[in-house]
Amino acid sequence: MAVPTGQGEPEPMRTIRFKISRFKPGRIDPSRFETFVLAVNENMTVLDCLEQIRLVQDPTLVYRHSCHHSACGTCACIINGTERLACLTRVWALATTTVTLAPLRGFARIADLAVDMTGFYREIEAEWEVLRTAEPLAGAADSGGALRLENCIECGACVSVCPAVQAHPPFMGPAALAALHNQMQKTTAEQRPALLARAAVPHGEPMCERALACSRVCPTGVYPARHIADLRRLRLG
Amino acid sequence: MEHVLIIGGGVGGALAHDLTLRGFRVTLVEKGELLSGTTGRHHGLLHSGARYVLHDPAAARECWEENQILRRIAPQAIEPNDGLFVALDETDLSFREPFLEGCAAAGIPAREISVDEALARVPGLNPEAKAAVRVPDGSMDAFRLALPFFATARANGAEIRPYCEVTALERRGGAVTGVQVCDHRTGRSETIGADLVVNAAGPWAGRIAEMAAVQVPIQPAPGVMVSVAGRLTHMVVNRLHPAGEGDIIVPQRRLSILGTTAWLADDPDRVTAPAAHIRRLLTLGAQLLPAVRSLQPHAVWSASRPLLRTDPALDPYSISRTFDCFDHAVRDRVEGLVTLIGGKATTMRAMAEKSADLICRKTGRNIAGRTRETVLRPYRGYWRQAVP
Ligand SMILES: Cc1cc2nc3c(=O)[nH]c(=O)nc-3n(C[C@H](O)[C@H](O)[C@H](O)COP(=O)(O)OP(=O)(O)OC[C@H]3O[C@@H](n4cnc5c(N)ncnc54)[C@H](O)[C@@H]3O)c2cc1C
Ligand code: SF4
Ligand code: FES
Repeated sequence: MAVPTGQGEPEPMRTIRFKISRFKPGRIDPSRFETFVLAVNENMTVLDCLEQIRLVQDPTLVYRHSCHHSACGTCACIINGTERLACLTRVWALATTTVTLAPLRGFARIADLAVDMTGFYREIEAEWEVLRTAEPLAGAADSGGALRLENCIECGACVSVCPAVQAHPPFMGPAALAALHNQMQKTTAEQRPALLARAAVPHGEPMCERALACSRVCPTGVYPARHIADLRRLRLG
Repeated sequence: MEHVLIIGGGVGGALAHDLTLRGFRVTLVEKGELLSGTTGRHHGLLHSGARYVLHDPAAARECWEENQILRRIAPQAIEPNDGLFVALDETDLSFREPFLEGCAAAGIPAREISVDEALARVPGLNPEAKAAVRVPDGSMDAFRLALPFFATARANGAEIRPYCEVTALERRGGAVTGVQVCDHRTGRSETIGADLVVNAAGPWAGRIAEMAAVQVPIQPAPGVMVSVAGRLTHMVVNRLHPAGEGDIIVPQRRLSILGTTAWLADDPDRVTAPAAHIRRLLTLGAQLLPAVRSLQPHAVWSASRPLLRTDPALDPYSISRTFDCFDHAVRDRVEGLVTLIGGKATTMRAMAEKSADLICRKTGRNIAGRTRETVLRPYRGYWRQAVP
């Protein structure tokens, strides 16, 4: 990494091979892996490395990113076989010299690591609330009416890892069911049955196989499987 | 109607929205994902404007006005919990009066509250605090605050092309007549003709200007941000002193974001987060909220401010945060190119409006802007409409 103001200290670097799945419809099609080699310091994330590779080795590399701190949800991909946020994954912490990067499964692919999120939002209404009541702060009796954004950053990791989504593509998937369940808690008692009915359709909650992989990979602690279990309890009364 | 091509998917999204509402045909190209430049990666402060009252009253007023408009037209991704300006020592205290006067002059509803009340609202606040002023700051999800502009522009017919990088400007005689792009989705290059090209490339605006052999007064001024895991406050906590480094903590979801440092850079791409900056932010953040001391960084990142350079010798904290829009026909005798520079994410709607006004004057059209009143589509609408 270049040092901008001269106050950087020399830092140890490791040489890492990045095996990145490339795909450009009609051009690199079918997809294939391409390897890039990069010197990586202790603090660099997979996203920092993708930025470096695009900047100095291949400006045509396509990946999604925006916030760089687990708020936007765009950078999820499959890193050494596991769904993770590229912006939170420190390369040294992976403890390998080769990092393999592939796009999320179960999504239409745009190019390289970028997937199209249209399908993800099919079952999540645009108007569903993103704000919720905040938890009280340590030392405070209540939240004082404060609101905060929901935990789910709509990254798609849970959809990619879900065996039920892979086996039955019409399945709504964990993120949409968790969003629906959150929305139920914010609407009026009259609107709740309609939402519950929506979760109970054959390609909704009943299609979940309880693999719990969604809760395992979720980077922001949504635990979608718990929301699905709650919906199931409500349905079975 | 004229075809306007916008380079840059940050504030450019707000311009695409404004121009489509006025009836222009619009194409927006962005080299990466939408909002992958500065507009997606800042602190997430919805400015009340109070940060600027001591040195930049014009920016302060602009921020407060836009803060109120955004709450109306794009409320979905704003945590509306206000902010505090806190004095920690005697020097900070000496700014209390000018700060309150500055807020009053800018029309920002600021109110001094007792330190006890501040501690009741933010129990983690440094108990040594000497004074606290409450202001209408907010937090935002930067990506989801800006995406509604793209969603609405697209629904109204704008063509939005992410992963599409401008590699050259098309020129005929003294005029810019379009752009050459490489569409990284397919690897193909193409030429897109346009009646007018708008350079909204943020910190990269100087690169686009060079393609037309003109100069723009842009000064990339990067800054480092550190997030820690744990929501330490619901209100934004600012240090009551003239803008400087490490003087703000912005809550968002279950994170607290410490910002920021600033320096002046030549290359907006070579922007890193030196370890010294990270340590400094943690130390300064712990002065405001001592619990920061016990937390590990959750993420560290940096972004480049596209500041409008008025005087190259200026200190990066005091360069004006206001914006400007240049018609290169007037400045450089190059027709067909407009550059917009500066501003804040909070003021993107106003920047877009001012630029669209200029575009109307240039094209001889008299169409009023309507973005002040037009409620935007929810951000998910960007994907929930059929791809055109
Ligand atoms: C550290 C920091 C903290 C900040 N905090 C806040 C805050 O809390 N609140 C606030 O309101 N503001 C904040 N700001 C200011 C705000 O983020 C910026 O002023 C604003 O986002 C700039 O938007 P822009 O559209 O000009 O630039 P950008 O968002 O960077 O947009 C320019 C776009 O152009 C694209 N581009 C460049 N070259 C090409 C090309 N050749 N072809 C196609 N596309 C191209 C880039 O990829 C980029 O996406 C902060 C800024 C920084 C740096
Ligand atoms: S539930 Fe978790 S894994 Fe699934 S989309 Fe939301 S944040 Fe991502
Ligand atoms: S870049 Fe936003 S979540 Fe990773």
